[in-house]
Amino acid sequence: MIKKKSIYPYLLVAPALIIILCVVFIPVLNAIGMSFQSYDLRRPKDIVFCGLDNYITVFQDKLFWKALWKTILWVVFGVGFQFIFGFILALFLKKEFRGRGAVRAVSLIPWVTPGILIGLMWRWMYDGNYGVINDILGKLHILDKNIPFLSQTNTAFPAVIITIIWQGIPFFALMILAGLQGIPGELYEAADMDGATGIQKLFRITIPSIKNTIFVTALLRIIWVANSVDVIFNMTEGGPAYATQTLSVYVFNKAQALDLGYSSAMAILLALVLCLVAIPYLIFTFKEEES
Amino acid sequence: MKRKSFFKRFLTLYLPLIVILIFILFPFYWTFITSIKSDSELYGSITYWPKHIQWESYKELFTTTVDFLAAMKNSFIVAITTTIVSLTASTLASYAFSRYRFPGRKAMMALFLSNNMFPTVLLLIPLYTMMRKLGLLYKPQSLVLAYTTFTLPFSVWLLNGFFNDLPLSLEEAALVDGCNRRTAFFKIILPILSPCLVATGVYIFMTSWNEYTFAVMFTNKATRTIPVALKSLIGQLGVDWGLMTAGGIITIIPVCIMFFFAQKRLVEGLTAGAVKG
Amino acid sequence: MKKRLLSLVLAATMIFGITGCGTDSDSGTNSGAEEAQSTDDISPATIKFQYWADNTDYSSLMQDIIKKFNDENEYGITVEGEETPWDGGGYSNTLFNAAMGGGAPDVATFKLTATPMFVNNNLFTDLTPYIESWDDKDDIPDNIYRVMREAGGSDSSLYLMPWNTQILYVYYRPSIFEEAGITEIPQTYDEFLEAIKRCTMDTDGDGETDVYGFGMRGGSGGQEPWGSFIHGKGGSFDQLTSEESIQGMQDFIDLYSNGYVPKTATSDGFQETLSNFKSGLTAMFIHHVGSSLGLEEELGDDVAAFMIPKGKGQWTSMGDTETVMFDSCENKAAAFEWMKYLAAYEGQKMWCEGTGQVPVSQSVQQGDYFQNNEFMKVSLEGIDFAGIVPVKDTTTEWISNWPAIISQALTGEISAEECMEQLDQALNQ
Repeated sequence: MIKKKSIYPYLLVAPALIIILCVVFIPVLNAIGMSFQSYDLRRPKDIVFCGLDNYITVFQDKLFWKALWKTILWVVFGVGFQFIFGFILALFLKKEFRGRGAVRAVSLIPWVTPGILIGLMWRWMYDGNYGVINDILGKLHILDKNIPFLSQTNTAFPAVIITIIWQGIPFFALMILAGLQGIPGELYEAADMDGATGIQKLFRITIPSIKNTIFVTALLRIIWVANSVDVIFNMTEGGPAYATQTLSVYVFNKAQALDLGYSSAMAILLALVLCLVAIPYLIFTFKEEES
Repeated sequence: MKRKSFFKRFLTLYLPLIVILIFILFPFYWTFITSIKSDSELYGSITYWPKHIQWESYKELFTTTVDFLAAMKNSFIVAITTTIVSLTASTLASYAFSRYRFPGRKAMMALFLSNNMFPTVLLLIPLYTMMRKLGLLYKPQSLVLAYTTFTLPFSVWLLNGFFNDLPLSLEEAALVDGCNRRTAFFKIILPILSPCLVATGVYIFMTSWNEYTFAVMFTNKATRTIPVALKSLIGQLGVDWGLMTAGGIITIIPVCIMFFFAQKRLVEGLTAGAVKG
Repeated sequence: MKKRLLSLVLAATMIFGITGCGTDSDSGTNSGAEEAQSTDDISPATIKFQYWADNTDYSSLMQDIIKKFNDENEYGITVEGEETPWDGGGYSNTLFNAAMGGGAPDVATFKLTATPMFVNNNLFTDLTPYIESWDDKDDIPDNIYRVMREAGGSDSSLYLMPWNTQILYVYYRPSIFEEAGITEIPQTYDEFLEAIKRCTMDTDGDGETDVYGFGMRGGSGGQEPWGSFIHGKGGSFDQLTSEESIQGMQDFIDLYSNGYVPKTATSDGFQETLSNFKSGLTAMFIHHVGSSLGLEEELGDDVAAFMIPKGKGQWTSMGDTETVMFDSCENKAAAFEWMKYLAAYEGQKMWCEGTGQVPVSQSVQQGDYFQNNEFMKVSLEGIDFAGIVPVKDTTTEWISNWPAIISQALTGEISAEECMEQLDQALNQ
């Protein structure tokens, strides 16, 4: 660790910082500014500064609270299961077996697939009349009649969550797999000599060794999933009856309707909610570094 | 004895692996099946292998108005350039964040993290104006710039996480041996870190590969990318299932092949570390 | 001062490359945008034209039309086509964002409902002077121009150039009608509802419905067929909360809750209603002539059509596609040549014959192709009462919210009355 004063770290950070500041700094400030104006491009003549009006309206908007709740469920279940399955998959992909390279390559498929195709294919598989999922569940005698998964308010949301889980597994699998490669083999050898079981090795060696990777991938994924719209949009457009409208979808819909002021206000609130997750993480990380 | 160990291996490795793989691959299989089914077979009783295989959609892909080959080429150019630019910049930055302590570091790290918390749909008009004024509109560079911006923050944090998990002992040993910091970085750290670089690179590549909103705004006929090409197959009169699924399949395969070769680096890092350690 | 003005005019002349033969009075168009550049001003120019294609056949047809125009027009105008995905209506937003960012094309294909957002931001050219000086302007019926004017929100300005229309009607399967014992196509709105009920059948006797009377569209775009139910009971878009409108909504809900339409109706969009009809799951669905070619190909004789019948009121949706010219277009007269070509001449004929859409040009309508087509005839039956959803600045958002509000009512979360109140508020807020 180097603490002495040096220009070197600044030079290293400069390229990344300059790109980001040049490209998004002004647009983001602009959007923050819009949230304090009645910025509705459908009525450009009426755009005036309106203080906190947008925020007050947001807080009174039932759909906002509903969408916020949906976002929390979406992130908790979506990222949670992505992580669990991704972690398990990574552990398997680290083992030696025949055809591992090919398996590693194909497990990446959900990630390679463009969002539009993901939405369409899953919509097609969930179809209430010709959907293969209904057919399989019927053949297994789990269902006795077809369920229109995406057309019912109680099944639509779990259905889109399963899709986002499917899409996100490779991300975690890949990142954790990469992290696992850095663990020195001696640690396991030592544990073997002590007669540790597989589970013990997992919790005593594997997880602590890649803890930074786990935290950071989970956090980044939470931010990413909370902001993602394309899967929901291509599958249900937020329907039926707002059952799948997360906050990011709501923001997107409002922005498409050109009510940019209201939309920005909601986006900022979403960012603040995400900060509730990010700030403790930052405090924890920085504290850990100092000790 | 041997049989028992195989049985155990089957239960602890192959069986769960197969279950996860079925979950991951089934939608892909279904996409493929859909692409070779006839329309009448799509809407009827469900068949798990088509009664009549037809490859028309694949032939049509190369004659239709949507130029898939060009779109793939554009997507590759954009995604690979973005990966190189973004990975280089983020490796440098995250190395600084991980190995140096300097004023402003925490603020910068927080800034990077917050960058992607804001939905891009609200930034579209100003970004479009900026691209136009820079003269980048309709050029692949506009997408490279946009994607670099939006993949950098995550890449920096990901690599920072990997750097922090990396035992410091290796580097310190090298420094003690008289290497300077730059040599240590290139000779020791990069090789050990290569699995993480591959993983982060794949993240950047995929993000650029799948992005639609910027792609549709910043490109024109000559520079369209894959997501835009696929989306143009859905009009008001419904989806062209055949072309859509066939187009999906032929764009997924080359990326998988590419990753098949890239993933070897995921193992090399391990051996490099083991030898040096 | 005078010298300076002169040099400005000269500079402008040079920039626009106006050749010497133009009359002097026309080249100084400083009296404002109202005045059109006359055809004398047309110089060889490149026109950037943005469009979407509903499928790849339409896309190649459009490319053929562009090529033909480029080869044959007498002014040396070159149209450069740029195809952009329809993206479930995201097309209008892509166009809008580009225009706001200063990168609008010269001419684009367009849907009327998105007009206010463009007009309020002064992005379009007022076409009135161009149309006034167009010799064949009467080839397009006056009432179409009227609809276009209304959409722009002003009687004096016209921002949309008519291109083609699609009038919705009911497709039905004669074989299912026969099985249900229906001998005559419904003549009234009530008979139509009755036919839906009778066509809902359990054909194999297992206690489950196998054929549904109607393919209801509760997903995106469903407001168009839905409007016919509201008007069938005597309601209207202007009074969404009137007794009659609510009754129409109740009819719609009853069809769903009594099982006369597939359970998937709450999210079914066009794709689903079409495939359910093709596979024989539904006996009827509402769409326009655009799907007739595909249906005939698939079903042969087993598909026919009737106009949505009259109840207390009668209404069907007139779908539409227009072309617009952006204010930033530098060669407006040349651009208008291309718009005319699409609206009335060879371009109109090729497009409407190739896609089966209803022409706006009366002379093209007289062609054999349109006079002999069954589905086209049914479409034309609706021309007197076909209409559009009121075009306000809230309309695009209303349309995108429609499915969510309606599905709340279909699933019983809210009543017909509450549903209509929500819709009314969303449209007239």
